[in-house]
Amino acid sequence: MIKGILTMTDVELARKKGEEHQKSKISTIGRSFSYDETAYHLPISYALTGIAVHEQKSAADVYAKTGNNPLVASECLLADTTAGKGKEPEPYTGFIGDTVIRKLGYSLVDGSILGLALVIGKPAGAGSAAAICRELQEKYMLTFLAGEVIPTLSGAGVKLGLDYRLIPLGSTPSYGIHFVDVIARVAMMFGGVTPGDTHRLLTYAAERAKAIVIVFPGLTDEEIAFADGMRVLGFPILSLGDYVGGSWIAADAETVVSKGMEEKGIRVNVTAIPIPMGCSPAFEGKSIRKEEMYVEFGGGRSPAFELLRLRQPGEITDGQVTVIGPEIESMKEGSANPLGIIIEVSGKNMKKDYEPVLERRIHNFVNYGEGSWHVAQRDLIWVRIAKEAVAKGVRIEHIGKLLASKFRMDFPQLLDAVAVTLITDAAKVIAAKAEAEKVYAERDDRIKGMRDNDVSTYYSCTLCQTFAPNHVCVITPERPALCGAISWLDGKIAFEISPSGANQPIEKGAVINARNGEFEGVNRFVKKASHGEITQCSLYSVMEYPMTCCGCFEAIALMLPEVNGIMVVNREFKGITPSGMSFSTLAGTIGGGAQTPGFAGISKNYILSDRFLQGEGGIERLVWLPSQLKEELKERLEKRLAAAGHPDLFAKIADETTAATIEDLIVFLERVQHPALGMEPLM
Amino acid sequence: MAYTIPFDWTGAIGDVVLGATKSEGGTRRISYRIGGGKTLPFLETGPVSPAPLIAFEICDNPVFWPPLIRNYCGDLTNNVAEWAKTAESAYGADMVRLYLTSTRMRNFSDFASVKKTVETVLSATALPLIIEGSNEPKIDSEVFQACGEAGQGERLLLGTAEAGRYRSIAAAALAYNHSVLAQSPIDINLAKQLNILLREIGVQHDHIVIDPYTGALGYGFEYSFSAMERIRFSALKGDADLAMPMICSAADSLTIKEVREAEPGLQDEMAVRWEFFTGIAAAAAGAEIICVRHPKTIPLLRAAFEDLKKGTRPEAEVQ
Amino acid sequence: MALKALDIYKLLPKKNCKECGDPTCLTFAMKLAGGKADVDLCPYLSDEAKSVLGATTRPPIRLVKVGVGERSFKVGEEFVLYRHDKTFYHPPGIVFHVSDTQTEEEIEAVTRRVRDETFTRVGSDLRFNGIAIRNESGSPETFARAVAMVESVEAHLPPILISRDTAALKAALVHCGSYHPLLHAATAENFHEMCALAKQHGCPLVVQAGTLEGLARLVKDCTAEGVSDLILDPAPDSLGDFVVRSTAIRQLAITRAAPDLGYPVYLDATRAGNEDAAIALGIVKYASVIVTSPLSPGPAKAALTLRQNIYTDPQKPIQMNPGLYRVGTPGKDAPVLMTVNFSLTFFTLQGYLESTRIPCFMLIVDTEGLSVLTAVAAGKLNETLVRDSVKKFDVENEVSHRKLIIPGYASPLSGRIEDATGWKVLVGPRDAAEIGEYLHEEWKN
Repeated sequence: MIKGILTMTDVELARKKGEEHQKSKISTIGRSFSYDETAYHLPISYALTGIAVHEQKSAADVYAKTGNNPLVASECLLADTTAGKGKEPEPYTGFIGDTVIRKLGYSLVDGSILGLALVIGKPAGAGSAAAICRELQEKYMLTFLAGEVIPTLSGAGVKLGLDYRLIPLGSTPSYGIHFVDVIARVAMMFGGVTPGDTHRLLTYAAERAKAIVIVFPGLTDEEIAFADGMRVLGFPILSLGDYVGGSWIAADAETVVSKGMEEKGIRVNVTAIPIPMGCSPAFEGKSIRKEEMYVEFGGGRSPAFELLRLRQPGEITDGQVTVIGPEIESMKEGSANPLGIIIEVSGKNMKKDYEPVLERRIHNFVNYGEGSWHVAQRDLIWVRIAKEAVAKGVRIEHIGKLLASKFRMDFPQLLDAVAVTLITDAAKVIAAKAEAEKVYAERDDRIKGMRDNDVSTYYSCTLCQTFAPNHVCVITPERPALCGAISWLDGKIAFEISPSGANQPIEKGAVINARNGEFEGVNRFVKKASHGEITQCSLYSVMEYPMTCCGCFEAIALMLPEVNGIMVVNREFKGITPSGMSFSTLAGTIGGGAQTPGFAGISKNYILSDRFLQGEGGIERLVWLPSQLKEELKERLEKRLAAAGHPDLFAKIADETTAATIEDLIVFLERVQHPALGMEPLM
Repeated sequence: MAYTIPFDWTGAIGDVVLGATKSEGGTRRISYRIGGGKTLPFLETGPVSPAPLIAFEICDNPVFWPPLIRNYCGDLTNNVAEWAKTAESAYGADMVRLYLTSTRMRNFSDFASVKKTVETVLSATALPLIIEGSNEPKIDSEVFQACGEAGQGERLLLGTAEAGRYRSIAAAALAYNHSVLAQSPIDINLAKQLNILLREIGVQHDHIVIDPYTGALGYGFEYSFSAMERIRFSALKGDADLAMPMICSAADSLTIKEVREAEPGLQDEMAVRWEFFTGIAAAAAGAEIICVRHPKTIPLLRAAFEDLKKGTRPEAEVQ
Repeated sequence: MALKALDIYKLLPKKNCKECGDPTCLTFAMKLAGGKADVDLCPYLSDEAKSVLGATTRPPIRLVKVGVGERSFKVGEEFVLYRHDKTFYHPPGIVFHVSDTQTEEEIEAVTRRVRDETFTRVGSDLRFNGIAIRNESGSPETFARAVAMVESVEAHLPPILISRDTAALKAALVHCGSYHPLLHAATAENFHEMCALAKQHGCPLVVQAGTLEGLARLVKDCTAEGVSDLILDPAPDSLGDFVVRSTAIRQLAITRAAPDLGYPVYLDATRAGNEDAAIALGIVKYASVIVTSPLSPGPAKAALTLRQNIYTDPQKPIQMNPGLYRVGTPGKDAPVLMTVNFSLTFFTLQGYLESTRIPCFMLIVDTEGLSVLTAVAAGKLNETLVRDSVKKFDVENEVSHRKLIIPGYASPLSGRIEDATGWKVLVGPRDAAEIGEYLHEEWKN
């Protein structure tokens, strides 16, 4: 069908004409007007300017003050018309009183309503209009209607009214202005917007009010001016009619609601997972034995891998699950089969950095399934599905659905769409696995290569402040948290996911002492976080202003003045160290949030960092380690020492077998000519 | 006086107003402004506020209430209005805390009755009210809407918001101008986080009372005590996200072993002493609303608080 | 401000001679930094070093022993204003008061109460700590007789002698001097005589003044006379007054702003308008000796429990003894619920189980006092521990079924526990409050 040019409406042109009509009508307002049951006069005008409008003079005043705003005009003109004609008969609501608005606002705040929609115009047929309204209802939207769409719907048997969340405002689209005055009042009642604070109102409307507008054909020029006027509030205008130009978003009936909601960032939360298996943390510990399994993947018996990737919005369809290759029916009972799990996600707030963090959740989610089991990660995974589950009808596809749903449920702020592909075709798995391995290597390189100097922001962690009220860890790329569990990247991601959580950003600020790693911003942060107790913190020094400790450090680095060196003892070592104290004695005295010069709680891996002992002149200070720790770190420590120009140093570091006491240590270090003896004095 | 106590405070506890008198838009005979403390509890040189306030707890379905109290208060427990009235006239409480235990019945859906109960209690007593809503998240939306609306204008204190469950109570607070009890499981970081979440949804700091959760004496009370001291300390050291008044409600005190196994005839005495010692210690840590369930605890607390608020002789200077 | 270990180490001889009893000077330095060693133990310190170290490493509040033998108690040696900063170390002695105007039977009865009454909670025996005898008769003879009455019970309790009259104290000390009673009190007017008495019998001495300055002056005077074991009575005239003064003393002492106030505090609750409130406040606000009228069971239990709670180390969780505990009278088909030995967990679960009225067993395993969440995260709650506990406490003989209910947060362990024990594992709720509903729905089947 060829659309005639005549049926197209030029939005820009119509808007201009409409605004002209409004301008002239404003000057001819004859009556005084006021709505019952409201403390907000004409709410839009009141919110924008703080002026109570009840007759022509104030109307003209406000109209002028707001630069001839079409919304203000629509509001004033409708109030005037209503004063003359009187209220429209049922089912039209006309202006809605404050008491009901308060109830609606309540539902918006408490989340029972996700957002607001305004539907205006004259639909060609009832079918698409009814479908759109149904979709809005299912997605917890509160819908306001204005114009002939109302009789069209009721004619088709659609029930209207507050109870159905389909509110019929008035017989023409111009009554849609009440939609805006509802939002204005919600802003003033709940959003802390004071009447007259234009900026605050516009910000509230754009950021807090989740509102969309859907326009059917048949609008007059003035009505187009009114509809277009809502763009300044940040409401997307979605057009189902032949409107061209302007910034209206064209859509068709099937996609207009999701387009609008996506445009405005309104997300529906998933609650139920449509699969024939239970899904709950209670099943997490249940392993599936060989006799119980129907089929398995990976675990050294067949190729398998998992990968989570970020995609652009629009590249994936939310909830889509694809199985490439044979389903369970084609797999022999008891067999090992190839498997590739690919999760593709998109979201306005999702970042590439988060991929590994989210990918780790595949393990938990598969284990939540009653009858599914998963171990390890990346290309080392091992997955099993139980006979019982398969008997109940569980298929590979359902594992995909479980993953898609859980990711959406657990990361509502982060993810807008999740799509899952499960590959069971052997050749395709192998090919995809090779690609995945490239991604893993890329990720590893990123973190390995990160240096403290590369970033200007470090991250704090106060997770153990419950036990040590004044303690705060400062986590840098080269210095992980002293509990060993949190890296700089973990801290960064945790902050982005929960901005008011235990990990906060710390702006480094100017360098005060580069060797010790003392920074202005870090000092300031630590002072505040420790309630004034700690004023200086050196990130790379043990002797001067070392970081405070809580109690969960993996190891303690401490000075041994007699030998001018630093020793390290880890939690697992139960004996007495050359310092005269055991790990637990030391832990008891340096923990609890104290800053103890000469002593620092650290993670085991920090020993391998280039920054370890930098404040004291370098890794050459290290004189003693427990033998088991020395063995554990051997390969990597030898590399580190060689890179620092001390290839022979490993053998010169004593342990409890070569020197158990300080006296023995002095003798040992002299015998091997340990470099610490010749370095500048520690104290 | 040569000595001044070296404290170095930089912050103060924020104010919260509870109840509204006629001139303030409500129908209470008194309203209270709590908070305002600039140092540790009871060290101020002059009285800062009417705190600590004593709130008497009642409910609208006594089947969920401790047997000891059902016994002691007798028929009153079957008539929530009379019970509320008695709390004011005979027991001498400063506030009444109404638990809507009727909402704990399975599949509760009579939200109109919630509204009615709140209205009835508002008529029966002219004291500022604390209203505890539902236990079941599924009905939160309707229950808190009913409470909020019924109490519009009265500046109620609505309970209880938690980290995973605060939207409906926040909505009621915003819609009808009430304050919110924010509860965390004896963890200062979680308390802070909840206050931030509430602020982000629009509930201002001067509409929040912190409930760090009170374990009964002997059943975790010391954790609550220290949580309160830490919150007070942080607030005074300038942490605005923790600078709110606190509430103490050791409801378990009525059902613990020591009370159950006390000699017959001495159970009430044991319960009263338990509530009393808890209340005094909590007030010393910074709690400004002390909740009790046994009527006899109230006069004891009242006398003690009077003596506590006497402050010190002129010689001791406190900074 | 207290010196840090490194600064202290710099002042030590650094010989590692071990004569102080520690293997290295570094160890000794750390102990001094924590107030846990006596600077006099080092034979090689210069006088200057000794005085600098002594002033800053001595505990900010003196340790004072009251009484002798098994019932004696020590107070003081505190470091913090808030227990959460470290812990409170020495719980206050709560002492029952008798007047010398009471009958011999009354005095005897009170003494016997303190001797015999024990309230056991969480594996600890809680008791009252002494007898305070007040000279209200005005007569030294009557006072001495009252004290003799107390001693005749042979309770060997720490006595506190309260009298303005040094003659009366002298007479009384004849009967109890060997117990080194606490003498109340030295004032600006009588401290010479009081110090003499204290020195003669090796008694700790309460000093009383209406101002903090007055207390500090008295401390100086008494220490000059050779009496260092002092306790401060700030003579409060209201509960509020007590809180202010006691807080001031504690804060000034631990910040070392007023070393002369670095002594434990005395509170006479019988002189407060509201005795119970005074006891509660004394416990939470730094009193080390609290004198009270003999308490009836209600306030007695509450006071002892509050003291136990506040004086628990916040960093060491209280633990139950691991074992198989009964709730009600469980039979062979009663449910078995496993959880950790953190006392808070135990009591919370026990309370909820008791209210369900379903007889059952609680299998308490040794996670060294860690909560469920922490024990699971730290690996302390594991299948080996559960298996060993089932064996150790002979659970298989107590029930005929083999179903074990584990806490919700321990669900990741369910499979491994099943493998290790051979029992079927049911995962219970995460919140103990839901156990009733859980048992009614899940167990009945």
